[in-house]
Order: sequence, then C-alpha cells, then structure tokens
Amino acid sequence: MGAGEKIRLIRRSLVDKAALGFMVISTVLTICVLGLILGYVIIQGSGYINWSFLTSLPTPVGEGGGGIANALVGSLIVVGIASLMAVPIGVGAAVFANEYRSRWLGWFVRFLADVFTGVPAIVVGLFAYAMVVQPMGSFSAFSGSVAYAFLMIPILVISAQEALRLVPNSIREASLALGVPVWKTILRIVLPTCSRALMTGLLLAFARALGEASPMLFTAFGNSFWNVDLTKPIATVPLVIYRYAVAPYDDWHAQAWAASLILVFIVLIASSLTRLAFRSRLDD
Amino acid sequence: MKSWYLKNVGLGLVALIMLSGQAAQAAAGDCPTKGVKELTGAGSTFDFPLFSKMFDEYNKLCGVKVNYQSIGSGGGIRQLQEMTVDFGASDGIMTEQQLAQAKGGPVLHVPVTAGAEAVVYNLPGIARGAIKLTPDVLADIYLKKITKWDDQHIKALNPNVSLPNLDIAVVHRSDGSGTTYIFTDYLSKVSKDWSDKVGTATSVNWPGDIGGAGNEGVANQVRQIPGAIGYVELAYAMQNNMPWALVRNKAGTFMPPSLEGAAAAADVQSLPDDMKVMVTNSANQYAYPISGFSWMLIYADQKDAARGDAVAHLAWWMIHDGQKYSKALLYAPLAPAAVQKAESLIRQVKVANKPILAGN
Repeated sequence: MGAGEKIRLIRRSLVDKAALGFMVISTVLTICVLGLILGYVIIQGSGYINWSFLTSLPTPVGEGGGGIANALVGSLIVVGIASLMAVPIGVGAAVFANEYRSRWLGWFVRFLADVFTGVPAIVVGLFAYAMVVQPMGSFSAFSGSVAYAFLMIPILVISAQEALRLVPNSIREASLALGVPVWKTILRIVLPTCSRALMTGLLLAFARALGEASPMLFTAFGNSFWNVDLTKPIATVPLVIYRYAVAPYDDWHAQAWAASLILVFIVLIASSLTRLAFRSRLDD
Repeated sequence: MKSWYLKNVGLGLVALIMLSGQAAQAAAGDCPTKGVKELTGAGSTFDFPLFSKMFDEYNKLCGVKVNYQSIGSGGGIRQLQEMTVDFGASDGIMTEQQLAQAKGGPVLHVPVTAGAEAVVYNLPGIARGAIKLTPDVLADIYLKKITKWDDQHIKALNPNVSLPNLDIAVVHRSDGSGTTYIFTDYLSKVSKDWSDKVGTATSVNWPGDIGGAGNEGVANQVRQIPGAIGYVELAYAMQNNMPWALVRNKAGTFMPPSLEGAAAAADVQSLPDDMKVMVTNSANQYAYPISGFSWMLIYADQKDAARGDAVAHLAWWMIHDGQKYSKALLYAPLAPAAVQKAESLIRQVKVANKPILAGN
C-alpha cells in the first residue's frame, strides 16, 4: 500500500466522520428545539390547567380566573365544519387528477396545490372576510370554517395524491378486468385501499388548521360568551392565545400558555393517530 | 291647615307612585324588547376593561350577550363602516372622510365614559408618580429629541430622582387607535413642533421606536422593556401595577392620572349637542391633561328593527346604570350634563324613521 493511497483512505474516513458528525448534530439540534418548545410549553402551561380552566368562560378583563371552554368547543366546531367542507373538495380534486389521468392535469393540480400551501394564512383570512363576512354582514363561525377549509384543501390534495399513487396499478387493472366500472373501482377498490393514508392527510390538515390564529382575526372574530350558532362570532383557541399573549395581564399570559399546551396536546393526539394509521398500513 | 296637610301628603303619595312607576319602567327599558339575545361590537381597547365588566353584568341583567372585541378604535370604525358589527367604539372622533365611507349613513357618537391616559414607564427602582413631566418634555421624548432618561431636561424636573443613563424606548400604538387620537391631540395642543410634524389622528407617522397592538400591547411592551415609556388607559396601568408619571396640566399643577382628573377635564361648560369634543389640555386646575371621552358609534338609521332596538337599549343602559362600574376601574362616570346629551343622541336612533326610544 503506497503512502498516497493511505492518505486518501485517511481523508475519506475523515470526510465520512465529519459528515456523520454533522448529521448527528443536526438531528440532535432538531430534537432539542422540539423538546425545548414542548418542555417550555409544558412548564409554563401545566400549572394553570385544571377542570375549571377547561369548563368555564372567560371573566371580565383584569379580574383573573376564568377558562377557555367556549374557545375549545368553538375551535372544534370551526375546524370540524372546515373538514366537512375541505375533505370532499380536496380528495375529489386528487381523485380527478390522479384517476382520470391526462398528462398535464395531475401535474397542474399538484402545482396549484403547492402554490396554495404557500399563501399566508392571514391572506386566506382576508379572503374569507371579503367573500363571506362582508356579504353576510356579520362575523361568523361559518366564515372561520371557510377560511380554515381554504388552508386544508391544498394539504388534502397533496396528501391524497400521494396516497392514491401508493395504490398499485395492478389492483385497478384487476378490478377493471372483471368489468367493474371506473367509478366503482375508485369508490370500492382504490379509496379503501389507501384509506389510512388519506386519514393521515386529513389529520395533518386538521392539526394545521387547529393551530392557526390569523385566519380567525376577521372571520370567527372571537366571543367572550358561549356560542354554537354558525352565523355568529365564535371563540377559537389560537385566537384566544394570541389575544391573551399580547395583553399585559400575567394571569392571561398563564392562560395563554395553558391553552397552548392544550392545543399541543390535541395536535399530539392527532399525530399519534396518524402514526397508528401509518403503522397498520405497513403491517398489512 | 288640615286640608293643606292632606293635600301635601296626597301630592307626596302621587309623586312616590310616579317615581316608583318610573323606576320600574327604567329597569324594563334597559333590556331589548324585540327578542335579540346577542350583539356584536368592536373597537376601542381604551374601553375594553370597562366594557367587558359592563357586558358581563348586562348579560346577567338582561340575558343578552354583548360580544365586544377590542381590536382598536381604527378597527372598530372600519368594521362599523362595513356594517359587520352592531356598534363600534372609539376614543377618537371619526373624520369627515371616515364618516363618508360609512355604508349605513350618519353615525352618532354617544359618549359612554371618560378616562385618563397614564404615561407609564419601566425604570427599575423608580416608583409610581416619582417622575414629573412637562408637556414640552413629553412631546420631545415622543419626537425623539430627548433620548436618554438622564437627559438634563428630565433631570431639571426631577432633581431628587436618580435617573439611569438608559435609552428611552418610546412605545406607541401600531394599530389605528383612539388612545393615540387623544394622546396626539394633546401633544398637538402643547407642542407646535408636534402639530407641524406629526399631527392628530388615530394613526400617525411616529418619529420613533416600538409599536404595540392595542392598549394591551403597549402595556405589555412597556412591561418587557427597561427604559420604555408608553401611554395606556389608566385601567391597564392600574391592573398591572405600572408606574406612571405626573404630567403638568395647563394650570401648572403636576397631576397623576385619575378618574377625578379625567372627570374634571370632561366637565366642560358647554358641551356640543353631537358630543364630538376633545377635552385634552383642559384649563380646569384639577384636570389631568391627557383625558378624553370615549364614544359608542351607532348608526342613526338602523336597518334591522330588532337589532336597532337592542343597540339603543344597551346604549341607554350603559349611560345610566352601566356607569356604576366605571369608578372601580378608574373611569370617570359621565356627568349629568353629558348623560343628558347622550340621551338625546340615543333618542335619534331610528328604525324606518321612527325613533326607537321615544318613550324614555
């Protein structure tokens, strides 16, 4: 073995170790940041969480106490209705682009969805304000749902397209060869096959919408009272966090942290469900 | 003699019956009569501590949920113009241009309270009321001419305070704000430089530093930044134990912000009928100079009979029974003269050209 070759070997192993070290550091940093955020939210928020925080209404400014019951219910209503609006559209668009194939259509829909995900959430909120709030003459839970639905659709389109691509063509061909019409093949064979992956997409979109405050500023608007009427303003958790966090009251800061922790908790449950869905798909 | 006695007792009884009848009527007259169970309002953050207390009580009294969102007077005016709310609230007077853009026609400015704006600061170790400021010095701080706390002009006013060599971080509102309107109206009155360079508006071209959204945001920024100075409605300063400066009024006395000072400023001899009046830099010797009315903004011509009815009754309650929640939050209750003017303004609220509260 010549000296030159030895040096080259040493150099290679050094480069290898440096690259590996860099990746390890990156991974550790990523986990650290995530851990820091989670840890900080838990430390700051857990002190305030109790039954009354979850079940009572906000108190007048500066009086202290009170809870986020109306915002929790409001968030679930607004995001729930948004999902009902977004899922048929998002999944429908993906099915259309993917199953009724043309060379450019799938690419085009995907391109549009990609662009759409880049639209800032506040712009989506203003759009919903102009489209729904102004014509209706009132802020409303419904307008909030429309705003969230716009946020969810591109995520759903992209994830549904990915899901549909996972379905082997041989399965479609088998179904078609037996004389099953295309629409029935899609409904009975293709969608059930990738249902868990579709579910993953829905949960991602759900989690995204659940944490967005800015689309709510000029749509759902907030409410200090109970409301379940879709045509009236409604409180949502992210908006409450935003309002409380910028206010000067220490009590509100604590409540904002606690509400953040609750949000993280809900999102955590959602992503755990996603993981479960993934795992069972691989098990199949 | 006997007949005189009887007559007077009789009169007294009649008066008593009339009074009790009136009282019952007033209580009933406070609640909406056409079944509206919720209203939406938006605007002034200056009013928010008072409004959230008032509306909490109003819900207990009438079972009507008044959802008030403190998005700033500028936002309140904007949403009123767009008719997305039942009423707005502002501490600044709407400009001609803003009025022209109101889609629902003429807008009434019904005064609902008066308040003082505390000049708050964050100087470690320096107590509430320890710092004295003259109008010029305050204007120069906001003009960024005075940039250090130990500037000779501030030192000269506060010889006994050990002022730190700290940069002054000027905090102002980032959103359209009635609190800003009052503050800039005051500075324009006391400083020619200010009125030439900056002027009076809900949102101005600030010479410096940091913006905060809402009274909430300004209070929060001042609490976070050592060396900061800001202006917030007194309730925010009080609720957060923030130190405030004494400001010299027109009569030459250094005044702390107080509800009495605001009330003295609002005690104007001849209030205009439309109540669009700024009371900053009052000549009253007991007045706190950075004080002002705050108004509920209501369309004179209500489109919806039931909602119009509810808004008018709410406003009526706020200027009467609602006033009792002012003092605890350091707002100045409306003086009888202002209440009278407010009453006649509320009587102008109409549905299809018929006044809603003609009976009251």
